Amino acid sequence: MAPIQKECDYLVIGGGSGGIASARRAAKHGAKVIAIESARLGGTCVNVGCVPKKVTWNAAAIAENFKDAKAYGFGGFEEPTFDWPYFKKKRDAYVKRLNGIYANNLGKDKIDTLHGRASFVSKNEVEVKLDDGTKQTIKAKNILIATGGRPTVPDIPGKELCIDSDGFFDLEEQPKRIATSGAGYIGVEMSGMLHALGSKVDFFIRGDKLLRSFDPLIQDTVTKEYERQGVSLHKGAQITKVEKLDDGSKKVYYKEGDKESSIEVDVVLFAVGRVPEIEDLHLDKLGIKLNEKKHIIVDDYQNTNVENIFALGDVCDRGFELTPVAIAAGRRLSERLFAGKKDAHLDYSNIPSVVFAHPEIGSIGLTEPQAREKYGDSLKIYKTEFTAMYYAMMEPEDKGPTAYKIICEGVNERVVGLHILGVGSSEILQGFGVAIKMGATKADFDNCVAIHPVSAEELVTMT
Amino acid sequence: MAPTPKAYDYIVIGGGSGGSGAARRAAGWYKAKTLLIENGRSGGTCVNVGCVPKKITWYFASVNETLKGAHHYFYDVPADVAFHFDRFKKRRDESIARINGAYESNWKKEGIELVHGTAAFAGPKEVVVDLQDGSGKQVFTAPHILIATGGYPILPEVQGARHGITSDGFFDIETLPRKIGIVGAGYIAVEMAGMLNAIGVETHMFLRGDTFLRSFDPMVQETMTKAYEDAGVVLHKRYPGFDKIERLDKEDVVAGKDIHEKRTEGPSPQKQLKITDKNGEVFECNELLWAIGRAPEINDLGLEKIGVKLTESGHVFADEWQNTSVDGVYALGDVTGKAELTPVAIAAGRMLGNRLFGPPELKGSKLEYNHIPTVVFSHPEVGTIGLTEPQAVEQYGKENIKVYKTKFAAMYFDVFSPEEKAKHPTQYKIICTGPEEKVVGLHILGEGSGEMLQGFGVAIKMGATKADFDRCVAIHPTSAEELVTMR
Repeated sequence: MAPIQKECDYLVIGGGSGGIASARRAAKHGAKVIAIESARLGGTCVNVGCVPKKVTWNAAAIAENFKDAKAYGFGGFEEPTFDWPYFKKKRDAYVKRLNGIYANNLGKDKIDTLHGRASFVSKNEVEVKLDDGTKQTIKAKNILIATGGRPTVPDIPGKELCIDSDGFFDLEEQPKRIATSGAGYIGVEMSGMLHALGSKVDFFIRGDKLLRSFDPLIQDTVTKEYERQGVSLHKGAQITKVEKLDDGSKKVYYKEGDKESSIEVDVVLFAVGRVPEIEDLHLDKLGIKLNEKKHIIVDDYQNTNVENIFALGDVCDRGFELTPVAIAAGRRLSERLFAGKKDAHLDYSNIPSVVFAHPEIGSIGLTEPQAREKYGDSLKIYKTEFTAMYYAMMEPEDKGPTAYKIICEGVNERVVGLHILGVGSSEILQGFGVAIKMGATKADFDNCVAIHPVSAEELVTMT
Repeated sequence: MAPTPKAYDYIVIGGGSGGSGAARRAAGWYKAKTLLIENGRSGGTCVNVGCVPKKITWYFASVNETLKGAHHYFYDVPADVAFHFDRFKKRRDESIARINGAYESNWKKEGIELVHGTAAFAGPKEVVVDLQDGSGKQVFTAPHILIATGGYPILPEVQGARHGITSDGFFDIETLPRKIGIVGAGYIAVEMAGMLNAIGVETHMFLRGDTFLRSFDPMVQETMTKAYEDAGVVLHKRYPGFDKIERLDKEDVVAGKDIHEKRTEGPSPQKQLKITDKNGEVFECNELLWAIGRAPEINDLGLEKIGVKLTESGHVFADEWQNTSVDGVYALGDVTGKAELTPVAIAAGRMLGNRLFGPPELKGSKLEYNHIPTVVFSHPEVGTIGLTEPQAVEQYGKENIKVYKTKFAAMYFDVFSPEEKAKHPTQYKIICTGPEEKVVGLHILGEGSGEMLQGFGVAIKMGATKADFDRCVAIHPTSAEELVTMR
C-alpha cells in the first residue's frame, strides 16, 4: 500500500536539544511542524549526556564530601557504601520523566512527532521507516537536520568488549577496576566521577596533559590534580588490545612510551571522540557538503549548501557541541524562518562552558596561545592560584587547587579569555559570560565590589 | 615625662578590613610612611568574629546537610552522623590565627608600622595611644588620619540581656547548646539560625514582624522564611518583646577577658535561661543570641575633642570621598554605618589611598556605593544586587518596570522525594526598567547562589540589559543558566 503523504512547513529530523528547541519555536510562530526521532526524545543531553552525567557527578561530589567530613570533625562511619544499582535505577527514572516531559511539550505545541529513521528522497521530501516497519513520506518546505552524533571506539582487537560514554550510563554494577581512555572533557569527567565513587581508575592518554584544547593553566592544574587524587594516569600511552578472561574481567594490553604492558580490569571505557549521525540520511543524494570529519557544513545562519535545508547542533561543523548552543541556534533559526527576523542567528563567539571534572572547570573565549596568535604582544594576563576556604580544615595533602586566569588585550584591557578551575566554578562562570559578551574590560571587572567570602571575588580583585 | 611625638604620613586607626586595605594601599603602592593602630586582633571583625569563621562554620553545616541527604543517592550513612564540635572549633581557631599572622606579615612586608593599643584624638593631626603592653602612652602625628575602628554587636535595654550572647559569643561556643533562641531578623540572625538548625540545635527565632530579611526583596523574605520553617526552625512571629532574662544555672558568671564577649557573660555548656516576654509568657532555653544590630566603635576615640560630626544613627559621618567634618580626618567601613561589608571597606580604603597618596590622575578616586552585590550565607544562600521590587516601583513607576521570575528545584534534589524537594527551592528575580530593559535589581536564592552572583554583578555594573543576559549562551547543566534563559 502506498504510504500516506504528510506535508508541513518545517520538518525537524532529530528530537534532541537542538531539534526540539527549533521545532517548538517554529510552532510558536504558527508553522506546521513535524518532528522525527529514532530513539529517545531529548537526544544525547537527556539520555546519555548532560543530565545523567550531572546526576552522577552530584553523587560523586557527595562521596568527596564524606572524605572531607572527617577534617570538619564528623565521625562515626567508615568508608560509606554506595549502592550503584539502586542509584542507576533512580537516575533512569528521572531521565524517563524527562522523556515524558519532552513528549508532553511537543504535544502541547501541536507538533506531530513520528518515531522512526529518516532518509532523504529529494530536497523537499523525506521518507521515515517507522517502528512497525511501514514507511511514511513527508513533504516539507524547510527541513532541519539535527541528528546529533554518537561516540566512537577505536578499531582495535577486542573493541566489542569495550564500552563508550553511552555504555557508561548502562552500567548496572559499579566497576571495581576500570580502564578509561581519552583526554577530552568526556574522558576527564567520567574518570573523575568513577574515581570519586571508589572505582580504581587507570586513565590512558596519548599525550601528557588532560584537556589539551583548554588553556595551559587548566591543562597543567587538572592533570596534576588528578594525579594527586590518586587516578593512575598513563601518559604517552595507548590501549592496543583487549581480551576477555574466564572470570569475565578484561585484560587490557597497552603501550606506554616504549614499554608494553597489561592490566586486568572489569570495564574498558573509550571516550576518544564522537562522529555525526548521518549515514542513514542519504545526504549524498542531495549533494550536501560535509567536512573531513563528516560534519555538515553550515554558514552563520545554519544554511547548508542546499536551499531550505538547515543543520545545527552536534551534527554540523560549527564546533561547540553543547546543548545550550544547539538550543540557541535552533531558536534563532526558527525566528529567522517563521517570525520574519531576517538576521536572526547565533553568534558563536564567547560561548561559556563548564567541564564537570573534579574540581569543576569553566572557560570562555580564547586560550592564552590562541590570544597570543591573534593579538601578539598587546596582551595582559592576570593569574591567581589559591586554596579555597572550604579546605581550611584539611591537611595540606588533602587540599585541592583553585586557579583563575583572565586574558586581556589592547590598551583598554578588553577581556578575551577567562579560565577558571576549582570548587564552585560551574556556577561562577555564567555571570562573567554575560559581562564578557558585553565587551567587559579588566576595569569593568574591578569596578564591581567583591562579594565576600566566596571564591568568585578573586576574579574582581586581581592585580 | 611628655612622650615624644612620632610623625607619619598616614595614621590608620583600626587594623580590620578597611584599615588594612587603606594602609596597604598607601604604604605598599605609594610608599607613604604609615602607622596602623590596633587594640585587638589583626583582621578585625571579618577575620575574627565575622566573614571568615562564619563561612567555615557554614561549610561545617553544609557538610552535615550533605551527609544527612546522602541516603537519597543510596549512600549507606548512619542516621545521626556524629561530630565533634569542640575539635572543629579548635581547628577553625587555628585557621583564624594563621590569618592573623598573615595580616601582620603582610603589613610588615609593606613597611607599615603596627602599634598595639587604643587610640584617642588629641588634635586633628594628633593621636595619643594607650599602649597595650602597659608601658604608657605614645603620641603620633600625621597630616592624614583614618578612622576605621569598625563596630560591635549591641544588646537591648532588657533586664538580664547580658546572660545571653551576641554574634561575637557564637564564635566562642565549644559545646553546642541543646536549644537556642535567636533574636533579630537581619542577615546575621538568619545566618546563625540556619547554621545551628542544620547541625541539630533546636533553633527558635524571635521576630517582631512576620518575615525576616525585611530589607530584602519580598520574594526572598517570603521564600526564605518558609524554607526555614520547613527546615524545622521555630519562628516566633510578632513577638511582643522581652520583659526579662533570668539565668537558672548556678555557674559563676564573670565576663572573662579571654573571650571576645566583653559585653555579655559568654556561652557556657551549663547555661539555662528563663525568658519572660511582655505578655508574661515564659520560654526556656540553653542560650539566647542577640543579633539585633551593631553600633560603631567610637567611645574611646575622643571625637568630640576635634569636632568630628556623627550621623543621626550615631555613626561617624563621611562624605563620598570618605572625608569627615574635620579636614585631614577620614572614616570608612562599619564605623560609618554605610554598606557594612568587608569588600566595601577594602575598596573604599584603596580608593582613599589612591586619592591621598597616588599620582595626579587618581586624585578623583572614590568608591561608588551603588550596585554593591552581597550574599547571605543562609540555608540556602541568598544573593542580591540593586533595587528590590518595591524600591524599583517607587523609583521608576510600576508601568516602567518589567519583572522576570522563575522558581524550580535544583537538579541536585531530583533524587529526593517530592516533599523533600519542595523544601529546597531555587528562585530568581530580574527587575528591569525602561524600553531597553536595563537590569536594576537581581535577587537569587538557592544552592550555588553564593558563587553565582559575582559575574552578574560585573555585568549589571556595566549597565547590562535583559537582552545582554539573553545574548550569553547558557551553561548546562547548572542553576545559573536559568538567569540567561528567562521569559
